[in-house]
Amino acid sequence: MSPVPFLAKAGHRVLVRLVFVASLLLLWECAARFWVDPMFLSPPSRVFGHLDVLLARPGVLEAYGELLAELLIAFVVSVALGLLLGLAVGLVKSTRERMMPIVLLLYGTPQITILPIVMLAAGVGFGSKVIFGITHGVFPVLLSVSSSLQKVRPIYHVSARAFGATPWQKFRYILLPCMLPSFFSSLRLSMIACLLGVLLAELFASTKGIGFFTRQFTDTFDSTSLFGLISVAVVLAITLNASLAWMQARWAKRQWT
Amino acid sequence: MSKVFVVNPLDTAIEVKGVSHSFEAAQGPRAQSGAELLALSTTDLEVRRGELLSLIGPSGCGKSTLLNMIGGLLLPSSGEVRVNGVKVTAPMPKTVSFVFQENALFPWNTILDNIVVALTFQNVPAKDRVELAHQALGAVGLTEFAHYYPDQLSGGMRQRAALARALSLKTDIILMDEPFAALDEQTRMVLGEDLSTLLNQTGKTIVLVTHSLGEAVFLSDRIAVISARPGRVLEVIEVNEPHPRDPQFVTSSKFSDLRNRLYALLHDEIRQTLSTQAMANKALKTLGGSPPHG
Amino acid sequence: MANRTQGFWQSKVAYQVAFVVLVLLAWFSSTEWLAVSPLLLPDPLGVLLRLVQLLRSLEWLEPLGVTAAEVVSAFALSSILGIALSFVLSRSAWVVKTFDPLLNGINAVPAILFFPLFALLFGLGEGSKIALGFTISFFPIVINTTAAFGRVESIHLKAATCMGASKWQMLRHVLFPSAIPMILSGLRMGLTLAFLSVLGGETIASFNGLGHQIAESSQAMDAELMYAWIVFVIAVSFTLNTALTMLERIGGRAA
Repeated sequence: MSPVPFLAKAGHRVLVRLVFVASLLLLWECAARFWVDPMFLSPPSRVFGHLDVLLARPGVLEAYGELLAELLIAFVVSVALGLLLGLAVGLVKSTRERMMPIVLLLYGTPQITILPIVMLAAGVGFGSKVIFGITHGVFPVLLSVSSSLQKVRPIYHVSARAFGATPWQKFRYILLPCMLPSFFSSLRLSMIACLLGVLLAELFASTKGIGFFTRQFTDTFDSTSLFGLISVAVVLAITLNASLAWMQARWAKRQWT
Repeated sequence: MSKVFVVNPLDTAIEVKGVSHSFEAAQGPRAQSGAELLALSTTDLEVRRGELLSLIGPSGCGKSTLLNMIGGLLLPSSGEVRVNGVKVTAPMPKTVSFVFQENALFPWNTILDNIVVALTFQNVPAKDRVELAHQALGAVGLTEFAHYYPDQLSGGMRQRAALARALSLKTDIILMDEPFAALDEQTRMVLGEDLSTLLNQTGKTIVLVTHSLGEAVFLSDRIAVISARPGRVLEVIEVNEPHPRDPQFVTSSKFSDLRNRLYALLHDEIRQTLSTQAMANKALKTLGGSPPHG
Repeated sequence: MANRTQGFWQSKVAYQVAFVVLVLLAWFSSTEWLAVSPLLLPDPLGVLLRLVQLLRSLEWLEPLGVTAAEVVSAFALSSILGIALSFVLSRSAWVVKTFDPLLNGINAVPAILFFPLFALLFGLGEGSKIALGFTISFFPIVINTTAAFGRVESIHLKAATCMGASKWQMLRHVLFPSAIPMILSGLRMGLTLAFLSVLGGETIASFNGLGHQIAESSQAMDAELMYAWIVFVIAVSFTLNTALTMLERIGGRAA
């Protein structure tokens, strides 16, 4: 039960969350001003005040633009590829038995270890970051699509046979509706995974883009700019996630299995 | 209202000759490759056109297996099934339709769309589908619920919708696999009465698998009693009572006699099944498998 | 029992082994017959020799030790604090409902973003990696464990209450046993995440550790050494995964 009846309502829960976040910011502010060396921790007031200077700095806005572009391309390709592979693995029994162990093997390998190889092959620019984003983002979609196709209740398979459905009819009227809800859920996870991949590549290759600036600010102990840089990226990530979550809530509805 | 037509004992819609079925036991206590589980031993049966024949027997006796073979969902290991004189090798959606026990309606469609999709599978011309679907729903009294989703309806209404779906396909034969098993007894009673009235009007041939003795006696023209696994037909009992069945029939002495006769035939079979099933389940659990369905 | 499990092993692992063999064959043939730069794709035999040399000279001992220490520290922190926090949070349904969206929201941000911050605060040594490992593994553990505590079947609680169980007995005999499977799977995920994030941090900016070895040999353009280290790290990761799976299986049978 809620501590005070007033706080039970959903709208008021939002208030509590805001208060919580605000008090964290306050804690940050006090810690930065009074307790910790300003070289390491910059207070939010200064960080957010400094944002306009940061964003006006040559190259910063371009860096974010590139990040977004890399992310979006990686995302679209991941989803398309994941969907295709997921369908191939989920629909055909022989493919599933052969491919799934391999997919799981790849999924279990730490991708960061091959990042240097990807960079060597595709250079330190745009391409390698997109590729690394795709290798991360493809798995949530692939696994979700193949898994939901596998989980279709046997009675639906039997019904399709009993009613004389052709393979296409079966896919369109039975398998597709079963698969869609978890496909939409996987979009959000795929976006997060793509972002992770792209960020890893960006931070590793620190000659251009976001990685360049993080290294520069770290080397010069410019905590204000560093915090600012990261905060903008965090807000970006949260916004993307929230919009996909909103889309998911509208379209994903429920699981049919 | 008297029966629309009288069943002619010589007019056979379905012929089951020397049919048996073995499953390859891929899992279970007899888990050597190639070992077989005999689900149904050699069986002969005839279903007359226009009658309602029940298959009754203990769990796992093979009655659902027999039904699936009649419908072409399974192929017999021996013997053959003939429907309207034609050998059965695959499902025949224009001749035989199904009503399943589990909720086989598609939860992502309204009940109207469920029927429309079934008609699509049968390749009924697109322009006729919605009209036929509405007619089918009307026949089972679900017209106002056409745009409801299955999970918004009660169990009884869902099974009515499933029945409407089977009726809409306008097949001569309907196979029902324990259609009322998931419903409470009161709903079963009412649906049973409605089914009896409906079938009287349509003259279809029905094969019904059931566990319920009362249901078998109330609904059927004849009852085939199946023994414990591996099943075979012990006896075929005639219920000489006109359709549509009066609800009062249940209280008659004729009903009790028939029901008692069924019970006497089945009693030992059921006891035997219960003890072997428990032992099999225990063995399966140790191996991490799950019990097969009857 | 032997039959069914043996058959399973035959199918799944066989395909994985076949895949690895195919990859090795492709690697071998492309270096032999295609004009691939040895800086990008060195001769596999050369890599193998380098790897053997690496193993024999025990060069791997120190980096592995450093990485392992970082992972263990990060995981110990996140698991102990995570479970403690989850337990406290789960005592009140209102608290869970209020903070759940916040927790899930944080999960949406790849915490690797904060790594430069940790590098600034703790330098390029172990501290920043431990901080990263902690941050990345902490929240999933909390989310999982809170769900585990919340999922105790109310019918079991009811039955225990009827039988006169005290609050402490309830915790010990109902709550914890029923929550443990899910907590364990959350912990497994946490350990895996801690390992991956420590590796990530080491690769990006570090003085030592396994990830650093890969990055360093890459910058030194020593392709054979880099590949040798990569193979080593993949083997370590694979061993860890297999060990965790076996532990899970044993735990599952014991439960």
